[in-house]
Amino acid sequence: MALGDFLQYVVTGLLVGGVYALMSIGLALIFGVMRVVNFAQGDFMMLGMYMTYFLTTAYGIDPLLGAVVIVPPFFLVGVAVHRVLLARVTGGGDPQRLMDTQLILTLGLSLIITNGTTMLLTPMPRGIKTSYATQAFAVGPILMNEARSYAFLMALFLAGVVYLFLTRTDLGKALRAAADEPEAAGYQGIDVRAMHGLAFGVGIALVAAAGGLLATYHPIEPTVAVNFIVLMFVAVVLGGLGSIPGAFAGGLVIGIVQSLTLLVLPFQLQNVGVFIAFLLVLYLRPQGLFGQRLRAV
Amino acid sequence: MKNVAVGLAVVMAVLIAAPMLLTPATAPAAEDLKIALVVPLSGRWARQGQLKKMGAEMAIAEVNAQGGIKSLGGAKIVLREADAGDSVEKAVSAAQRALTREKISAGIGSWLSSFTLGVTEVAERLEVPWFTLSYADSITERGFKYTFQSSPVSSAQAEQALEQLVEIAKRNNQPIKKAAIIGDNTAATVFFFKPLREKLLKAKGIEVVVDEIWTPPLADATAIVQKIRATQPDIIFYGATNFPDSIQVLQKIKEFGVKSPIQGVGAWLVTPEYVKAVGPELLDSIKAVVAAHPLKGQEELVKRFKERTGEPFMTQDPLMSYAHVWIIKEAAERAKSTDPKAIRDAVAKLDITSGPAATALAPGRIRYDEHGRRIGAIPIIVQWQGGEPFTVAPNELATRKLVWQAGK
Repeated sequence: MALGDFLQYVVTGLLVGGVYALMSIGLALIFGVMRVVNFAQGDFMMLGMYMTYFLTTAYGIDPLLGAVVIVPPFFLVGVAVHRVLLARVTGGGDPQRLMDTQLILTLGLSLIITNGTTMLLTPMPRGIKTSYATQAFAVGPILMNEARSYAFLMALFLAGVVYLFLTRTDLGKALRAAADEPEAAGYQGIDVRAMHGLAFGVGIALVAAAGGLLATYHPIEPTVAVNFIVLMFVAVVLGGLGSIPGAFAGGLVIGIVQSLTLLVLPFQLQNVGVFIAFLLVLYLRPQGLFGQRLRAV
Repeated sequence: MKNVAVGLAVVMAVLIAAPMLLTPATAPAAEDLKIALVVPLSGRWARQGQLKKMGAEMAIAEVNAQGGIKSLGGAKIVLREADAGDSVEKAVSAAQRALTREKISAGIGSWLSSFTLGVTEVAERLEVPWFTLSYADSITERGFKYTFQSSPVSSAQAEQALEQLVEIAKRNNQPIKKAAIIGDNTAATVFFFKPLREKLLKAKGIEVVVDEIWTPPLADATAIVQKIRATQPDIIFYGATNFPDSIQVLQKIKEFGVKSPIQGVGAWLVTPEYVKAVGPELLDSIKAVVAAHPLKGQEELVKRFKERTGEPFMTQDPLMSYAHVWIIKEAAERAKSTDPKAIRDAVAKLDITSGPAATALAPGRIRYDEHGRRIGAIPIIVQWQGGEPFTVAPNELATRKLVWQAGK
């Protein structure tokens, strides 16, 4: 195996992983702050893809820009979904019971969104035809697909914005406080419920943006989420449950592992590499790459 | 308060009764003939199910407009659709429900070979004749009496299509010496590739230079297309039935400047959504082996289909279910009964050479052998030209002339 080939596999994996990473940080944020496993996350990504598609076909907005344009509306959708549905099953009460109702709620939401979209928009796959989807930057012998390179850079940018928001703004700090220690945060005058709404809104907006970026090279259909939701969960657990930088790194790792697996295993086993890496991390570092070890007191 | 309650009750009663009062109470002249259509209407294959439904509905509308089934006093055909969903279990339980809820005279479905294998077991047990376009050989290798497979089976498709291709390539002075096999591991693709890999290509002196099979979804097509670029095959046998996978491979092929001719296996490669997703230029000259496609002389049928559905062209899926409804109609005419067993016996004896049922499928004659395979079923080679797929082989049925693409 020539070095050039190896580098090509790494670069390809990294570019694919960038969008996985952006998808996953939304899920990690929601879990980190609310302790809710959102099974409908992939469906919001699918809606983001459709919205970007319609912006492109109706108004000629480039999908790379469209992916950012849809952030505010999806933030509002997230806040609304939290207020109307999730607020009823979070905060207070028997944790086991809450967990059950949350799972049923988000799974049900996922089914309704997928099938509602199938009814309204028909199952016909659609695609945004961009000139850059079939072109590549050549760096020496290595080819970097243009659409994936742009999507990767946008994913980095959006993840950077979220990181700055969480670490440099008061609101972001309040959000983290609500995540780390909801009770103490409440004593400090932080409205934990509002923070939940904020986290859900941001989480949904991020995954929708990832969907918009994905739409630059991936076809859109109502069931597209099933191809990605498992990878998102693996990325989040890999990085350490609830850790934002962890989820981002987890996404990148999945992309690279998927790509490098092909060097040693046949194509049919492409995701086997991902799950082996996943099991190894769980075995050697159960708290995940960026997770904190919890001690029972 | 009591008056309000009484008033409400009256209003409710009227609302409930109104539809019954408004419907004219005419007794049906003859018992309807019910056809079950069990196809995916949700999940990742829902689009194919929808296309199948369009074809069946069109045939039913035509039969009924022509006065229904004459030997049954003008009995109308009614469609009962059931969603096969996205798993074999769902398909089987949908068929079970559809066939036990009421009397069904015949069934059509379920597109994906693995679904059809399950669904036909239900139909066999309940003794309802079942028509399918699925390709897998195993569907009619189980000694079932109620399964009728109208497509040429995968292995036969591989053999006959290769024969045709080698011939066409020779005629175009582009002999095939090296082949690539790439595709997913769904049943129809597996059955098509198996004989190619094991004996057919060797017998023709063709070397397999790339052989890559994946489980959908494909994360990225770079590695596959890189191998193709490195080996420059004279033909690529292509079986990416999952739309997003296929789009990724085609985009990558363009990105890497691969010029080898692509030979798809299955009708999934000739659907209208491809034009929208990658544009007509990228598709140009890509070929696919399918079980049915509009042939020379079917222009009128295609025109009616396009007007009715708004689809840009007609493909295997609607065409096959269109033919199946007409075959069931012909069988019911001969059986003079809506009884599924009587219809099954009539289908087994059927030999039609004229009318919509016969002309819809090559070679223009409908007969089934004792295994339920359609006698004389041949694969059709279709080619994308200017954003539309046309039949290019066999020659006598072609609507366009085949364009061979330079191999290097």
